[in-house]
Amino acid sequence: MATIIDMKGNQQELFKHAVETTDMALFVRTSDEAMLGWDRQRIVDALTRETYVDFDTAKEIAREVEDLIATSKIKMITAPLIRELVDTKLVERGLEQARKMHTRLGMPLYDVDQLILHPNKENANVPHGPEATNLTLAETIKKEYALLSVFSQEIADAHMRGDIHLHDLGFIDRPYCSGQSLEYIKRFGLSLPNSIAMAKPARHPEVLLAHMVKFAAALQSHFAGAIGWDSINLFFAPYLVGMSDRELEQLAQMMIFEFSQQAVARGGQAIFTDLNLYWEIPKHFENVPAIGPGGEFTGKTYHDYLKESQRFAEALFNVFQEGDGSGRPFFFPKPLVHITEKFFQTPGHMDFLCHICDVSSEKGNTYFVFDRGETAKISECCRLSFKLDQTDLEDAKQPWKMRYCALQNVTLNLPRIAYLARGEDAKLFSKISEYVELAVKAHLEKKLFIEKLLSLGEKGPLALLAMDRDGSPYLRMHRASFLVGMVGLNELVQIHTGQEMHQSKQAFKFGLKVIAHMKLLVDKFSQRHGMRFVLEQTPAESTAYRFAKLDLKFHSPQSGHIVKGDISKAEVYYTNSTYLNNSAVLNPIERVRQEGLFHPLIEAGALTHIWLGEARPSKSSLANFVTKTFQLTQNDQIAFSPEFTTCNRCNRTIRGLRSSCVYCGSEDVDGITRITGYFTKISSWNKGKIGELRNRYRNQTFLREKEEGIALDVG
Amino acid sequence: MGSIKIFTKAKCPKCPAVKEIGAKLKKEGVPVLNYDLDTIDGLAEASFYSILSTPSLVIEDEEEREVISWRGVVPTLQEVKAYL
Repeated sequence: MATIIDMKGNQQELFKHAVETTDMALFVRTSDEAMLGWDRQRIVDALTRETYVDFDTAKEIAREVEDLIATSKIKMITAPLIRELVDTKLVERGLEQARKMHTRLGMPLYDVDQLILHPNKENANVPHGPEATNLTLAETIKKEYALLSVFSQEIADAHMRGDIHLHDLGFIDRPYCSGQSLEYIKRFGLSLPNSIAMAKPARHPEVLLAHMVKFAAALQSHFAGAIGWDSINLFFAPYLVGMSDRELEQLAQMMIFEFSQQAVARGGQAIFTDLNLYWEIPKHFENVPAIGPGGEFTGKTYHDYLKESQRFAEALFNVFQEGDGSGRPFFFPKPLVHITEKFFQTPGHMDFLCHICDVSSEKGNTYFVFDRGETAKISECCRLSFKLDQTDLEDAKQPWKMRYCALQNVTLNLPRIAYLARGEDAKLFSKISEYVELAVKAHLEKKLFIEKLLSLGEKGPLALLAMDRDGSPYLRMHRASFLVGMVGLNELVQIHTGQEMHQSKQAFKFGLKVIAHMKLLVDKFSQRHGMRFVLEQTPAESTAYRFAKLDLKFHSPQSGHIVKGDISKAEVYYTNSTYLNNSAVLNPIERVRQEGLFHPLIEAGALTHIWLGEARPSKSSLANFVTKTFQLTQNDQIAFSPEFTTCNRCNRTIRGLRSSCVYCGSEDVDGITRITGYFTKISSWNKGKIGELRNRYRNQTFLREKEEGIALDVG
Repeated sequence: MGSIKIFTKAKCPKCPAVKEIGAKLKKEGVPVLNYDLDTIDGLAEASFYSILSTPSLVIEDEEEREVISWRGVVPTLQEVKAYL
């Protein structure tokens, strides 16, 4: 724990001639600020405790280091310096493994200084402040720890080189993201390990909401990413019987503000919250006994709560439509409305669809999730979803069991594979296999690590996830997904075939072939390991930027012609996942259709963005668009993204991205739009995303023409 | 004349019936392409045509535009011939 060793006054001379280390007036300042004297034995102890070095070698090294310090003219010796000196002695002896085990994790003074002063832009959902700094500092050490200690050298090197990207390394001791059921806290109350008080199941809707928010905050400290809630309007419904419209709207307002203003939680981050909503009663919940106030079964099934469920969904969207105190869209929670066959058979669906489309056009909040046929799923994170299989539908009879997680996400740098393949098909496909295998190996290593933590049970670091209230641990490892993501399919195809995917049918089909190959591979690995490896469209908020930067370094000059964005401004990126070029001029329905052809292969979730810019299409034209997307395409999920400018002086918000406020003229303004799977202020974006924003093809002209009946109608 | 694309999988009980139709038409000189969804090319082509179940049969015109398709069902030989 020693951090700094101060050499007092003139005693360096004394140190030089010292025979016994205890005579040396060196003091070690420990973390509890006690002063400890210099003791060579501490080097020996550290070496024998932390590495496999034998006692005699450790003693020899300690003495050599002591001599080195004694003969130097250093006035202040830091503990990291001593450790580095010891490490050089290990290197001299060829003890590479011991050097690795003896590594000190931490950050240079300069970096910490920069970090405290300047915001971190790796994740735009992290504001700048002391809590955020703490988060970044902790993440930096955990990242190093992960790369040195959790993952093998092969995986760590592949990440460092940028062949693959291991997401959320700073949260190595947590799973990636999760899907929750409100039924768990309705039934068991709020009884968390390590908590000083236990709350019985809620009797009132406001208390249930308070439990939900607290539980979400507890979960946020155990998962790296999103916390999704299934059928939230339905599960609240038994608590809402007899409430007036005004009371319902008040509750909806509380829910949205609670989740949007949680910027006091981990690292000052708002909790990345997804609310899954249904207009109908999902088929798998129709005959399930409903849980009501006090955690008691109400004697009815959820089928009987359609009215309350629908009224709450409407109330939530009324709040989304109004926006926050200054009319801005709420960044969180995200409302995801599931569009199903049954949606269209449920009375009132057209009015509701128009309502949520109105919100979509006005504020952009709504995500439209398409569950076709018998598919049922819960959506999390930016686009991640968990498809429910037969076992899950069995669990649905006891919905509190429906807890899901993705343990980790590993993304492949697809353009790099194409640079390496040099136009040879066989090489390209074999390289893809190699990278997928790396991702699988990374998952096995992380799984082993998390299992080790979970094995410590409710006394361990993941007590919340190990807690057992219903006969199985909260985290159901056997239902976990292991995500394999991709960045830059468009550029892979461009490098390999000479054309981008939107430029020819052949190029597009080649893209499909690459993803088909990846899909067959993950299926094969799933079978082999008895785990659930699935493809996901990684949100890749910073990965698309990181890969492009690394490839400019390692695969120049070719990469200079391939990366998107503006190289002169360092605003470079690769097109995300399986998307078509962001700047390609395609009418939105064609983009939704074409990108949707990839979606059945990407089991863990996919999304198409429709950038609206300043356009404000009518609710009926968006409703028509959504219906056609459901009926005529295979697209999994769509979201319409308008752009806003908010003034920091007069607090008013206007449509479009502008350099000054149209009301007060102030230039102290912020742009707001969707970065990847969520809205945020543009000032917090990384350079790659800024580059992408400049290139995004807004569908304004098309949408305007469509309103005027000029553009071709769909279907 | 356009072509016929047949999509099958190894473990699919109804697939041999559609394969048989394909084989008969091929003998009569109709261009028939077989795709196995357990292979990369087969799965990619199936994705392009939004084929989500097997067996499926797609008839295309000369410009590779879909004329008609049977998805997850087995048509009769006569039904297929009616569109050729």
